[in-house]
Amino acid sequence: MNKISIPIGPHHPLLKEPLSMRIDISGERVLGGTLRLGYVHRGIEKMAQQRTYIQDVHLIERICGICSHVHTSTFCLAVEKLLEIEVPPRGQYIRALLCELERVHSHLLWLGILAKHVGLDTVFMHTWHDRELALDIMEGISGGRVSHAANQIGGMRFDLSPEQEELVRLNVEKLKSQVNGVLDVIENEPALRARTQGVAPVSADMIRAYCVVGPVARASGVDVDMRRDDPWPPYDQLDVRVITRPEGDAFARTLIRVLETRESLRLCEVLLENMPDGPVAVRSPRKVPAGEVVTRSEAPRGEVLYYLRSDGSDKPARVKVRTPTLAVLSLLPEQLSAIHVADIPVVLAGIDLCIACADR
Amino acid sequence: MNAIIDAVINRPDTVAYPFGELELPEGFRGAIVIDPEKCNGCGLCVRDCPTDGLKLEKRSRDEFKLIHYPARCAYCSQCEQSCPRDAIGHSNALVGATERPRELVVVLKEKNGSKG
Repeated sequence: MNKISIPIGPHHPLLKEPLSMRIDISGERVLGGTLRLGYVHRGIEKMAQQRTYIQDVHLIERICGICSHVHTSTFCLAVEKLLEIEVPPRGQYIRALLCELERVHSHLLWLGILAKHVGLDTVFMHTWHDRELALDIMEGISGGRVSHAANQIGGMRFDLSPEQEELVRLNVEKLKSQVNGVLDVIENEPALRARTQGVAPVSADMIRAYCVVGPVARASGVDVDMRRDDPWPPYDQLDVRVITRPEGDAFARTLIRVLETRESLRLCEVLLENMPDGPVAVRSPRKVPAGEVVTRSEAPRGEVLYYLRSDGSDKPARVKVRTPTLAVLSLLPEQLSAIHVADIPVVLAGIDLCIACADR
Repeated sequence: MNAIIDAVINRPDTVAYPFGELELPEGFRGAIVIDPEKCNGCGLCVRDCPTDGLKLEKRSRDEFKLIHYPARCAYCSQCEQSCPRDAIGHSNALVGATERPRELVVVLKEKNGSKG
């Protein structure tokens, strides 16, 4: 049968963000694909060198619209390491609480998108309905649904009042009971299983060869999670259960996110239960001593790495960001071979793309 | 099933915006407001603003004008944090789009001479 090349993107209903793909098909079989990136490159790393550290926190927050808080947390952590200051325990706990809520909202968003791609619109509606509650909790804490502006160098910018803490606790409980019903459906729905089981399996060796991180790596049995492997406080005091599956297919990636959503909600409860008293931030100087540092965090999509070099001024000499999506994207052409045309949306949804993160 | 019963018994979760009242949380970062009594035109908010959303036209200590550009503003509350006198901050009001260019330049404080 003849080979046909189909261009998909950069603007396509299948994609939430601009990404260009050329997929070769022969009949119903996909032979392979190539990618073209860079449509949302904003030059954030270069811009960060022209702004002060204080302004950079807000710039870094704009790298991603879903995991904005984990980006600023990792950046602030890097600056705090250079400044040799430590965030007070209460600030650390609130920082981690927002990180976990962000993971819940990101995974629910993703589960909804996957459900929509496989035709389960009811599951899509329910997950996004529950995600709304997660966003409401974050808005109640920080004053913003997407850009929380919660981090500052030296801690958090706001404290939680006892009433707020109680409200967050109640809402997390409510979210947990709401989400559990939907997650049960996702785990046991035969239609979802039929569309995802055995689709585009990736071996653990392949994951290691492409340096893939996050839920995609864990779904192939690669046991990696920065919350446990390179923890920043308070994760070093928490017992983070890292969830792995050996299968490596689209269904394993779905299950990983379902189980991680539950785990994150458990961590939220633990954080709220053990929330220490005291200040949430310490004062930090404007100028940062010369030096270089690397910090890592576990974003909803995997490890996010920040390299920061300071020349002693109030502006960074170099900021380098490594986001999880770029590594996962490099695996995409491999995944797009030997599958059916109808499985393309499942494969694309399965790796949870965040092009804004990858392009910056 | 619970969601269906909820939807039948309770009022809808959605708001008939712009005709209905928006319920914004207490700490919502809305329009920028200033307490003119407290502001002394030190310019720290302007220095730290990440989007050039604030501008200080200063002729002397007693003659200055602090301007806010809502269209540039990221509503990040950095100005609120940088202000040593708690003069600038957010209100709870939502900032919508506007057709009037005049509304894109807001003079927060204008002081002419020692009497202000």
